[in-house]
Amino acid sequence: MTPYRTSYWCIQHVWIFYLLAAVAVGVFIFGLLIHVSVWTKGIKRQTIPFSWRGISNLFLDGLLGRRIFRGDVAAGTMHFLILWGFLGLFAGTILISVDYWLYHFLEGSVYIWYSACLETLGLMLMTGLVWSLIRRYLQRVPRLERRIDDVTVVALLCMVVLSGFLVEGLRLAAQTPDWAQWSFAGHWVSLLWANPQGALSIYPYVWWTHALLSLGLIAYIPFCKLFHILVAPASIYLENQPLQAILVETRGQDEEVFSYRDMIFFDACTRCGRCVEVCPSTGAGEPFAPRNFIVWSRNNLLMKYHPLSNFNWFTNWINRRYTQEQVFDHQKLWHCTTCRACLDVCPVYVVTPDAIRQARGKVVEQGTQIPPLLTQTLKNLYKYNNPWEATKKKRAKWSQDLEIPDLSKGEETDGFCYFVGCTTSMDIRAQELARSFARVLRHAQIPFATLGNKEPCCGDIARRAGEDGLFEKQMEDCVELFAHYGIRDVVTSSPHCFHTFRNEYPAFQALKPAEEQLDLRFRHYTLLLRELVTASSIMFERPLNVKVTYHDPCYLGRHNQIFDPPREVIAAIPGVQMVEMAHNRANSLCCGGGGNRIWQEDLDAEVKMAEIRIREAEATGAEILITACPLCLIMLEDACKTTGLEHTLQVMDLNELMAMALAPPASRCEALRAGGGQVLAIADRPGRW
Amino acid sequence: MDIVVCVRQVPEVADAELEINKEGTEILKEDLVMDINECDNYAVEEAVRIKEAHGGKITVITLGDEDCEDVLRTALAMGADEAIRIDEQGFELSDAAGIAKGLYRAIRDLSFDLLLTGAQSSDDGWGQVGLILAESLGLPYASLAVGIEIAEGKTIVHRELESNTREKVEIPLPAVLTVQTGINNPRYPSIMGIQKVRKIEIKETDSEELGLSEEDIGPMGSSVASQRLSLPAVGEGAEILTGSLGEICEQTAQIIRNKGVI
Repeated sequence: MTPYRTSYWCIQHVWIFYLLAAVAVGVFIFGLLIHVSVWTKGIKRQTIPFSWRGISNLFLDGLLGRRIFRGDVAAGTMHFLILWGFLGLFAGTILISVDYWLYHFLEGSVYIWYSACLETLGLMLMTGLVWSLIRRYLQRVPRLERRIDDVTVVALLCMVVLSGFLVEGLRLAAQTPDWAQWSFAGHWVSLLWANPQGALSIYPYVWWTHALLSLGLIAYIPFCKLFHILVAPASIYLENQPLQAILVETRGQDEEVFSYRDMIFFDACTRCGRCVEVCPSTGAGEPFAPRNFIVWSRNNLLMKYHPLSNFNWFTNWINRRYTQEQVFDHQKLWHCTTCRACLDVCPVYVVTPDAIRQARGKVVEQGTQIPPLLTQTLKNLYKYNNPWEATKKKRAKWSQDLEIPDLSKGEETDGFCYFVGCTTSMDIRAQELARSFARVLRHAQIPFATLGNKEPCCGDIARRAGEDGLFEKQMEDCVELFAHYGIRDVVTSSPHCFHTFRNEYPAFQALKPAEEQLDLRFRHYTLLLRELVTASSIMFERPLNVKVTYHDPCYLGRHNQIFDPPREVIAAIPGVQMVEMAHNRANSLCCGGGGNRIWQEDLDAEVKMAEIRIREAEATGAEILITACPLCLIMLEDACKTTGLEHTLQVMDLNELMAMALAPPASRCEALRAGGGQVLAIADRPGRW
Repeated sequence: MDIVVCVRQVPEVADAELEINKEGTEILKEDLVMDINECDNYAVEEAVRIKEAHGGKITVITLGDEDCEDVLRTALAMGADEAIRIDEQGFELSDAAGIAKGLYRAIRDLSFDLLLTGAQSSDDGWGQVGLILAESLGLPYASLAVGIEIAEGKTIVHRELESNTREKVEIPLPAVLTVQTGINNPRYPSIMGIQKVRKIEIKETDSEELGLSEEDIGPMGSSVASQRLSLPAVGEGAEILTGSLGEICEQTAQIIRNKGVI
């Protein structure tokens, strides 16, 4: 006899099943439309272009779960089992529908293979589900939450799988076909029933139970975290789409601050908590976690735009759903350092730093809830064009004894400009960065100039605070200056300026007519230093004989993937032994100064982020902690003092380390005179050595 | 609850190196950043808060040159509804009474329940304009308000006195109050907010339209004339310490010890 299976065997009133299926699909579509209707409220100014990278990400991250495996193989395997078990069974259901409605092919050896595959997939799914419960409730993996939604989803899936095996077992027990052992799992279940008649009598009830559970699952998907099945692929695809530039003046009166992309990202979140694990603010014991922000934003959007949002019972329910403890409010928006660690580990690429920035925008526009010091900083930015309340005269004071050419005074440097930045120009400690960099450039005989007193703020601070009106104004000032002085090549001290120039300006500039667009190259100084070192333009004459470690600034590393150039520079300096900290490169820990944290009051924390970092540096046994960002330099040096490590560990900018190893003063003078350069009057900081 | 707020644009001097012109008549403002007078900013914020709680309309008024529009725009962005600028021409070198005269003429025809000014301006610092205005208008007033409660037909004002004491006074409306810093936490006027109020027209007027002649304002109309501005002379008693950081610290500690501080 040819192996096969009769659909709807022993089931009466099949039409009821179709009716219920229609209801389930209706509910599913209704739920989906609710989410889509919320997304349409988000800002959308650009079309979504086709992207091969998006497709490849869909395959690698969506189907293979690349980012879920990364850093947590157990979670990756568990998710893989569930995903492929679920997808496989879904495909199996489609095949059997094809077989029933269109073309009968599931018979004979095809059927045997089909059945055996489905057995395996069902077992995979079950294993994954049980594993997920073990991880969450027995192993109690710290990053996982234990909310109602977490258990109902898994429980429902478990019941669907178990009832499926039970139906199969009962059918096999009643039919006892020759090929039963191929349906191995169902076959084991069938062994529980010695009497085929007994099995047959309860079979229809169990069949209907399985049917109801399965249809219930379909209807439930848009209302629980299983919705990520649909949204995560969208989120993954949207990941590398370019930044949306939305000019302040084009914004509507009551337009949402979030874009449709943010809303899709929020819906893709399954609260897996990887972001919580890596968040430096959470790690320092601050009352902030990226996950809480996402859930809070999602709930707010639902409460505002959901078709049922006019009903109190609904908003109350949404409110209670994930935020019983009132874990988040707009004051906590200011904790985020925008370090990007959360985004780097997020399996579905939820762009939390960007969303935080936009949420801040709403607070800034309203105006009364901004942290007081930051309010002051923003006002200073507007008034003085820098956050330091310094008048123009003070901008170039760091260089007054260095005689650095000033572009605004007619110097020509073939379009090359050193953009010093506000903090590097005005903070006494950070000025050393600029002075050392100037010395390195002189040594390498690179003609360079600055914008002197005319140098404006790049707009990073305003941008990070969500004060886009100010950002746009500062951006225009900068672009205008660059154009006015014929600048084509800009090197910055700060990774923050670099990031703003390189990654935020272009989207806005692209909105302009082609003839007004500038062709500018932006580099962080580490890139230039590496060029100088590889081109052997630097003559190191003093082996330093020190052990150093390197702190990756977030805006250089994670935001711009510049990990190797500073390390190559360090490696090129003679007598420097480099050791890595526990957290390095993409995994680096934020110093706590980014995202405008340096411009705010200290926030509640168990320990300062910079102190955590400095302890890590100390643990390496290094004598010098090198960094490549003025903010990191200030934050880490402060932490070095507050932790009492100032005698064992020194915090330095990469330029300072390099300048130390350059030729000693006498020969440097000769070299410079030979090259027609200026002689610098930088002391070798004997006090520190 | 209609409110009128008088504001003034002043140079920011907190971190600036001030320079005075040769004649000693004014401070050189080229390198100075201009902003709303601090007390006035608190007055605007207080007005906006009262409006938010009790409704009504806020009119801001300033006396100054064209650049002073910025101050009015900022106030509009914070929540004011209308703005008036009295052109500065003719008012140069006026004393507090001269400025108050201009404001009085512009305000007397407005209907309002409350008139707020800053307690004093950070540049001339007379602290008189609000009070002279009140006298001219024949309205009751209170100075140095650090708390304002609005009740039916009256206001309860908390005044800041010396040595951390406060006085609570009840004044019938309409009234004039001069607002002290710290009464609230002024909101941030975002650039976006300022852009949004761009379309609000600022009413312009001048001394002529207000019926003021040379005898009323300016040097001729003032009872107080400024003789000469000068920077404080560098005094004695300052000692610049030299040496390495360690030596300087050592010397500092020695001085503190010698002076009997510790």
